[in-house]
Amino acid sequence: MAEYRTQLKIIGDILSTTRDDLKDEDGATVTYLIRKANISHSRISTILKTLVSQGLLEQADSQGSNKYKISQSGREFLQAYNSFTQFTNNFGLNI
Amino acid sequence: MEFLLENILNLVGFLVGLTIGIISYIGFRNTGSPTLFRLAIAFLLISLGFFVIWSGYVLEDYIIKSGKIDRGIQTVGIVIQTVGYFFIAFSHSIKSLFPKSNYFRSVGILPFFLVSTVQVEHIFRSVSFILLVYGAIETILSYRDNKNKNAISIALGLALLAIGEFLGWYSFVFPESILYSMSITIKIAGLIALFIPVSKVPLKKIKFDDDLDKI
Repeated sequence: MAEYRTQLKIIGDILSTTRDDLKDEDGATVTYLIRKANISHSRISTILKTLVSQGLLEQADSQGSNKYKISQSGREFLQAYNSFTQFTNNFGLNI
Repeated sequence: MEFLLENILNLVGFLVGLTIGIISYIGFRNTGSPTLFRLAIAFLLISLGFFVIWSGYVLEDYIIKSGKIDRGIQTVGIVIQTVGYFFIAFSHSIKSLFPKSNYFRSVGILPFFLVSTVQVEHIFRSVSFILLVYGAIETILSYRDNKNKNAISIALGLALLAIGEFLGWYSFVFPESILYSMSITIKIAGLIALFIPVSKVPLKKIKFDDDLDKI
């Protein structure tokens, strides 16, 4: 059975992908993030817009396509997210 | 002896609840997670409940000196704690507490009628017991999914608090027995079990960021 993911968990997955999975220093394309985060195009567009406006992701134009890189704030958020995921898991809960 | 144990329990409960509540609140401010918000409310209320009862004892010890704690203050503290336990159970989704079968529903509400003639304090102790058992079961079930060993300690802590509540509630049948002291000791052990995994979470480098809770 597929695991239910909260909005916050999806954000955590997107940020983790942009921090850990990328060999390309220019950032990740939307297609790459859709595949890695397993999410629809319409939903990821809204989330990416929010993450960029909050300063957690940086958007860069590279050879005509939008790419996304994690920012310093994004790294700090991800660190907090990982710690508190462990904290809520201790209570048998999902963040 | 009972008086001293009560004071230790309420002080430990206040400090453990406050610590977990503050950590949960910091987590909520950093991530905007509703789960952490519910945990923060739960543990801050539990902490407040212990504080109210503790202040009742201190008031009695230093000012009133009647040799018996005010039942009203104790009841208020227990009611506040029960609301806190409700939020823990609510975080696990409270709906599975009540099975869909009409038979089980009718049996489920029977204890509330059975205790309707006793004091409010005992009603809330029994409600706390149900909520704590529910929380302990849900937490131990989560261990099956994520194999997180800290969940066992949290489940054990909630279970010990539940046993402590039950003995505390049951001790009104045998008021002068050892049951009440046992109840307090078991509850202190439960609070320590709750605190152990929380103290291991690495939170040193986390700081507040006002913008992040808008996500």
